[in-house]
Amino acid sequence: MTTTSVPATSTAPITRTRPRPSVRARLSQPRIRGWVFLLPLIVVNAVVVIVPSLFAVYYSFTDWSGIGPATFTGLTNYRDLLADDEFLNGLWHNIIWTLFFLVVPMTMGLFGAYALTRITRFRLLFRVLFFIPYIVASVVNASIWESILNTQSGLGHVLGINPLGDPDLALWSVMGVNNWAWWGFLVVVFLAAMQGVNPSLYEAAKLDGAGPVRQFFSVTLPGIRPTFAFLGLMTIIWSFLAFDYVYVMTQGGPAGSTDLLSTLLYRDAFTNLSAGYASAVGVVMALISTAVVIVYLVIRKVKDWEI
Amino acid sequence: MDLTRRHFLTSSGAVVALAGLAACGKGPASDPSAIVVWDNLDNQDLVAYFQKHVVEGYPGPGTVRFTNKSTDTIDRLIQTSLAAGSGPDVIVTPGPSSGVTEYTKAGYLVDLDGYAEKYGWKSKLATWALEASRVDGTLRTLPTQYETMVFYYNPETVQALGAKVPTNQSDFEAYCEEAKGRGMVPIAAGNSDWKGANEWHMVIALNHGAGPAAVYQALQGDLSWEDPIFVDAITRYTDYFKKGWFGGSVEDYFTNKFSTLYEQLAGGKAGAMISGTWEFPYLPTYFGDKAGNDDVWNWAAIPSLGADVPNDVWDLAIGQSAGINSNAHDVDHAASFLNFLTTDKLVILQALVELNAAPPPIDIKQSDFSPGTDERIVRLYTTLSSAKTIGYPIWTFFPQQTETYIIDYFEKVITGDLSPAEYCAGIQKRFTREHAAGKVPHAPEPGVALK
Repeated sequence: MTTTSVPATSTAPITRTRPRPSVRARLSQPRIRGWVFLLPLIVVNAVVVIVPSLFAVYYSFTDWSGIGPATFTGLTNYRDLLADDEFLNGLWHNIIWTLFFLVVPMTMGLFGAYALTRITRFRLLFRVLFFIPYIVASVVNASIWESILNTQSGLGHVLGINPLGDPDLALWSVMGVNNWAWWGFLVVVFLAAMQGVNPSLYEAAKLDGAGPVRQFFSVTLPGIRPTFAFLGLMTIIWSFLAFDYVYVMTQGGPAGSTDLLSTLLYRDAFTNLSAGYASAVGVVMALISTAVVIVYLVIRKVKDWEI
Repeated sequence: MDLTRRHFLTSSGAVVALAGLAACGKGPASDPSAIVVWDNLDNQDLVAYFQKHVVEGYPGPGTVRFTNKSTDTIDRLIQTSLAAGSGPDVIVTPGPSSGVTEYTKAGYLVDLDGYAEKYGWKSKLATWALEASRVDGTLRTLPTQYETMVFYYNPETVQALGAKVPTNQSDFEAYCEEAKGRGMVPIAAGNSDWKGANEWHMVIALNHGAGPAAVYQALQGDLSWEDPIFVDAITRYTDYFKKGWFGGSVEDYFTNKFSTLYEQLAGGKAGAMISGTWEFPYLPTYFGDKAGNDDVWNWAAIPSLGADVPNDVWDLAIGQSAGINSNAHDVDHAASFLNFLTTDKLVILQALVELNAAPPPIDIKQSDFSPGTDERIVRLYTTLSSAKTIGYPIWTFFPQQTETYIIDYFEKVITGDLSPAEYCAGIQKRFTREHAAGKVPHAPEPGVALK
């Protein structure tokens, strides 16, 4: 620390300058130090997320093949989207996909987790068994299920149906396979949340005569509501990003019956060489996710949730 | 031992420096002047052959560094690497209509006309293929493989059906009826492994149903794709699907894998298979010694499926094109390699004989083959060398977006979600746009000889 000494005989006005902390000292300040640690993440995020996103928004207003220069075309791509039956078909399938994953795996995950809270023996074993499909690569899962559903020698043959070849069944079949890998993850997360619910609440409910079902709806569900809401939010976002199972199992077919916005985007960008149009599809997907996040944030603020 | 910060930093620096030096080490795989080649050979025998005879056998100038990529991803990898200003020195595409125009307009492909003069490509490679490889009059790629569509059959099955290999529409329909009646799959077909298989069927519907003359006229913009000649041909062909003649049923067509088709053909469960000559390398696994059976495969010309359509139409297609990256380390070396790849008859014929690998469209005579070469291969390439009636495969002579539409929407026609007339209207809409933008590859006139 430095001090400014003033000669006693001096008549000049006394000026006091605050001591300037060294760079090291300034970086040591908690507030600054936080930003220093955050800086690499901000830079990486800007390079791999923000800048490409801005480019994608720009290219969505162009007629760009994905190769070479782009020609600005204004809102043409967005206008074309509204009249594109493939886009509307993909959007509709995404909505079905979202509703399915909001209902089926969430319900299975909730009841699976609740059932596990009721047992003590083999709980860990079941958690592992339920979770294993989630950690297997989606390409592997999809390929295995393709064989299982096979019409020559698999389940399709036994049942006399073609789950992946029938346009009326294909989307449900792919969703079912994806759900098989997904719901175990929800079990584990919900179980962790349920174990955080205060046990005395269950005791009180029991004293009031509540059975297991009543306890679930009156104690468990309110107790894990933030987790439930968060997973619901993520399910919606992930549903609009779903790609791998469809791509491996049906490539959007047959006859577009499993096409999602993501498979349409991929095809437009890399097969059709319409990267500008594909960018517009991507922007719409991002806008949908953004709207969902905003709704969630508003609800969280109103309800004063911590998560 | 305590690890001080100074020691930690010094040690970390040393590790990073060593790793960097190791990465910069001069080895065959990291020769910075090597000609970088990416290809998508999906058969390990082909990869081994390519590495030994093409990469290591290349006499120079320069050396070659080869990386094999997946067929599913190679186009995307090339597109993104070119956009980033890098990529392989030799750029391959699945034919001259797939991205070549876009690559050229973006300045990614070198003008090859000077090298064509230097290496005499005009006298070595088929004129139709070189013409199809031009963009705005300039040669941008060379054909590295050519192929055609054929009618595959198992002679024993044909005999069991009491039939002959069909050559016209009525024979074909009778053949399929007979096979279906006996509980067989008349024509083995499926697109589970490759959605692009849809366009193979459209090549047949258009060139053998409507006829190559009409297709040529439409490619010139002189005839609409909505003309009844196309609508009727597609209606006829897709009706065959609806009758279950292709793949067993429309649903099974969507889930049949290629291995299933070969097994059905070999085992007499299918009456025939319609596909391209690119199947040749895969068939020995299912027929004969390698498969441990006595089954035999053979091929014939695709039968005529329309009135006044000849029964010897050869759908000449370029299965792969190769150009040179404008950012290539040494363009002259890359051109020299391209010349070796497409015109070295010894290596090309050896690959053809050993692995049934599709050759570039060079002039192959019967005398070029060594004695003992598979008769089916000799017959195919000598037949093609003298072909007079040429069909126009979609992946060679149609522009990109029209091709994608044809592939994607074909499925809706066979499921009945789209009428053939609506399908043709969609083709016309996209083709008109791309024709106006000069994106339609050059097509040879019907009836011209190969050279």
